[in-house]
Amino acid sequence: MARRPLLHAGHAFLLPWFVGFFGLTLGPALASLYLSFTNYDLIQAPGWVGLANYVRILTADAKVAESVRVTLLYVVLSVPFKLGFALAVAMLLNQGMRGLPLYRALFYLPSLLGASVAIATLWRQVFSGDGLLNRVLLIFGIHGASWVSDPDTAIYTLVALSVWQFGSPMIIFLAGLRQLPRDIYEAAALDGATAWYQFWHITIPLLTPVIFFNLVVQTIDAFKAFTPAFIISGGTGGPINATLFYTLYLYQEAFGYLRMGYAAALAWLLVLAIAAVTALAFLSSRRWVHYET
Amino acid sequence: MIIMRHHKSILSHALLGAASLVMLYPLLWMLASSFRPNAEIFTSISLIPAHPDGSAYPRGWTGLQVPFGRFFWNSAVIALLSVAGNVISCSLAAFAVTRLHFRGRDLCFALMLGTMMIPYQVTLIPQYILFLNLDWVNTILPLVVPKFLAADAFFIFLLAQFFRGIPRELDEAAVMDGCPPWRIYWNIMLPLSLPVLGTVAIFTFIFTWDDFFGPLVYLTDIEAFTVQLGLRGFLDSSGTSDWSAMFAMASLTLAPVLILFVLFQRTLIQGIATTGLK
Amino acid sequence: MNAHAMSRRSLLATAAALAASQAFAPDAGAQAATRLRLYWWGGTERAERTNKTAALYTQTHPQVAIAGETVGWGDYWTRLATQAAGRNMPDLVQMDYGYIFEYARRGALLPLDAYLGKELDLSGFDAASIDGGKVDGKIYGVSLGLNSTSLVYDKQEFDRLGLPALDWPVTWEDFAKRMAEATKALKRDGTWATANAGGSGPALEVWLRGRGREMYTPDGKFGGTASDMADWFGYWQDLRASGASAPAEVQALDKSDVDTALISLGKALVSFANSNQLVGYQAVNKSKLDLAMYPAASATAKSGQYLKPSQMLSIAATTKSKEEAVKALSFFVADLEAGKLLGVERGIPASAPVRKAIAPSLDAMAARMSGYIAEIADKVSPLPPPPPRGAGEILALLVRSNETVGFKRATATAAGASFIKEATDILSRG
Repeated sequence: MARRPLLHAGHAFLLPWFVGFFGLTLGPALASLYLSFTNYDLIQAPGWVGLANYVRILTADAKVAESVRVTLLYVVLSVPFKLGFALAVAMLLNQGMRGLPLYRALFYLPSLLGASVAIATLWRQVFSGDGLLNRVLLIFGIHGASWVSDPDTAIYTLVALSVWQFGSPMIIFLAGLRQLPRDIYEAAALDGATAWYQFWHITIPLLTPVIFFNLVVQTIDAFKAFTPAFIISGGTGGPINATLFYTLYLYQEAFGYLRMGYAAALAWLLVLAIAAVTALAFLSSRRWVHYET
Repeated sequence: MIIMRHHKSILSHALLGAASLVMLYPLLWMLASSFRPNAEIFTSISLIPAHPDGSAYPRGWTGLQVPFGRFFWNSAVIALLSVAGNVISCSLAAFAVTRLHFRGRDLCFALMLGTMMIPYQVTLIPQYILFLNLDWVNTILPLVVPKFLAADAFFIFLLAQFFRGIPRELDEAAVMDGCPPWRIYWNIMLPLSLPVLGTVAIFTFIFTWDDFFGPLVYLTDIEAFTVQLGLRGFLDSSGTSDWSAMFAMASLTLAPVLILFVLFQRTLIQGIATTGLK
Repeated sequence: MNAHAMSRRSLLATAAALAASQAFAPDAGAQAATRLRLYWWGGTERAERTNKTAALYTQTHPQVAIAGETVGWGDYWTRLATQAAGRNMPDLVQMDYGYIFEYARRGALLPLDAYLGKELDLSGFDAASIDGGKVDGKIYGVSLGLNSTSLVYDKQEFDRLGLPALDWPVTWEDFAKRMAEATKALKRDGTWATANAGGSGPALEVWLRGRGREMYTPDGKFGGTASDMADWFGYWQDLRASGASAPAEVQALDKSDVDTALISLGKALVSFANSNQLVGYQAVNKSKLDLAMYPAASATAKSGQYLKPSQMLSIAATTKSKEEAVKALSFFVADLEAGKLLGVERGIPASAPVRKAIAPSLDAMAARMSGYIAEIADKVSPLPPPPPRGAGEILALLVRSNETVGFKRATATAAGASFIKEATDILSRG
């Protein structure tokens, strides 16, 4: 009964989003969907080609297979490592120790630098054959590869970049940890629960909404990863397509070779894939994500 | 017991300290590069310039047609407006999809998530044409207005997850008392969500401060450039670049964000005090 | 509470006013009858020179205002493509030889033939320079500066090692030998005599022309055969093996721009580049650099190199003020005073009177570039047939194919065959 007034309020609160969605977002999205059935080259008027773009992507384009492989590898490696790292550091920083603000700023620093030209230059210097990493390894008698420019290892330097920039999930974990009610821990401590027990049976379950958020968002982001490969490989996806992320390939087609229609088709297949993965995550979340009691 | 705690703390500090070095290295390297001549930047990995030279700072500040301060101002305006826009519009939307009941709620939430999945590379062109027809190109409107219209689903989702963590008894009791929804939003949800609202604010600031692609496409007049566009002004990969000046200005560009971030710690911590009430 | 609300309100008001002032700031020169947008890529020096020239023009043509827009090469084409899609291209657009065909053939650029001899004064240009801006017989761009491919090499280090300078003609065979010796003489770990140019399109073109072939045939096919390409990849594989050139994992650091070229990273002494890039290369190198021609097919043959516009100025087909845009273009490329302001920063002016006017004021580096263009004038070949649609993608394919050989994923023979197969596919797709 009491819910009645909230019915209209819902739409009122969503008004800005409605305006934005129907006014700014939906139109361009539908336009790109339409363009995926055309041979649009950005300059001339688009011409209808039916399913030709999709057929080529799914049957005749070797680069699609390569870029899917690279992207999946990136998703599978970067997301768990980044989140694990972010959670571990957030736990460490949540102990109320001295110098906390300083550490927090320090750990966020890499994310502040973003994926800029400066980072690209630095990354190439650190991970090249005679770079900083190999000089450190040499102290231990290890002769490292030319990580950033070897087709077997280049993708891992991009994974490293992603993991190194773990600042934003870390901050979100911290905000989540801050919101956990203290009294539960106090009660548990009185019952003699160990820190380990508290972590697994109180912290993790209470944090699941935030874990779920980070997982979904980071996975979507990793599927769409573009800037790291773009700046570090100079937009080439090299060496030998070893860092040709799916969206980088899409960008090359759209802006490098002026095949926007084809790029739009690539994009919508990616949307389908991400939507499927996200839907799976949401379905599974009913089993493991605990919202407020 | 005390000794153990002490040891643990030392161990934590040692671990964190070592990790901090890895985090700090790029900043130091950037600073070092800003004091190096162009010819040394690409061949040296040492953190200490052979002959430190600060001339890149004045050169960078005045080297483009417009003083670099102008770009700071432009970026700050865009970033602050974006913060206001995101905090207001995304919290409204998140409140609606988590706490209010109406037809199509789940569909709305799914659509929000859906907008996160489309690569911007393909919506860029239609969106550009849309803004061009609105006569918004070469103004900050394409960069700011969407923020007031909850276009960034990342933040809606983030806020929604945190709102879901706030006990329902609180607002259900208020509803029973005849409290209208906007009061629940304003007097209950927002005060209880200060840490995450703060997170939304700082992330929005940083993301817009670092954004390059939007300004590149929408701001063509150098007077309207943001810091990121200004930084690129020093570089031309096909010809002559002034890397020292770029690194000098890049270091300065980091300062406001870093300061904001450190100051912001307090807000985060005060936020807990409020939430801790429960 | 009240004061709080007030301050918050006034803050919002300030922010809104601010936004409005930002959003609706009047455009530069709103009072002038015609407003032209001029768009170019380049660094700070080019921006300064270009803006001064634009200012000079608007001084004498008060009915025109020129608004400059500039970004670096890396971001230039993305923004231009976006604006082209919105039919909002700048009136005057700096063009590149590799892109003009893409834009002109799709109807984005204005053909200039009708203005020749009227608004457009190219009387100081020789025929070859005008031809450099033609696409399918029509003029779509006018040269802002001539250049040619050129080795940029560390002359100071060559002298120090007692190696002979790379004076014309050095045959490809000789080049391989001399580079192998240079690496040995250098005795520096992690530095090789030359970059590996097996992935360089311009280098391949010069080499193919030395064999009597063109990179692209007049009907838009790839001009080399599988066996040509096998020889090409094999040649560069030999240079890797002998130590003459950098190995694949080092060469892969090079993203074909000045800052990542191996000579700038201190990993090679010779780079395959363009003559107008000398200043850019010198800026990031401590050692004294010099220019030399690409290797030759034989000691007596003509070079496969050709003079081409380093950059051109084009006009968007969508411009609303065609005549004014053409007049401004004409000023930039042919006016003596404009020439003095622009110097040789974009390359050697194609107009003979401008070249003459600026000669006394050139600094050493500019004089060297100018001298190089003069030296090679009688050694180079005419312009090749125009690159077909898809030529940009072939350049990327070339880099990748050369890498597959360098990283031992394919033999030179296999890489040659698969290169031709993929190139044919790309060109047929367009």
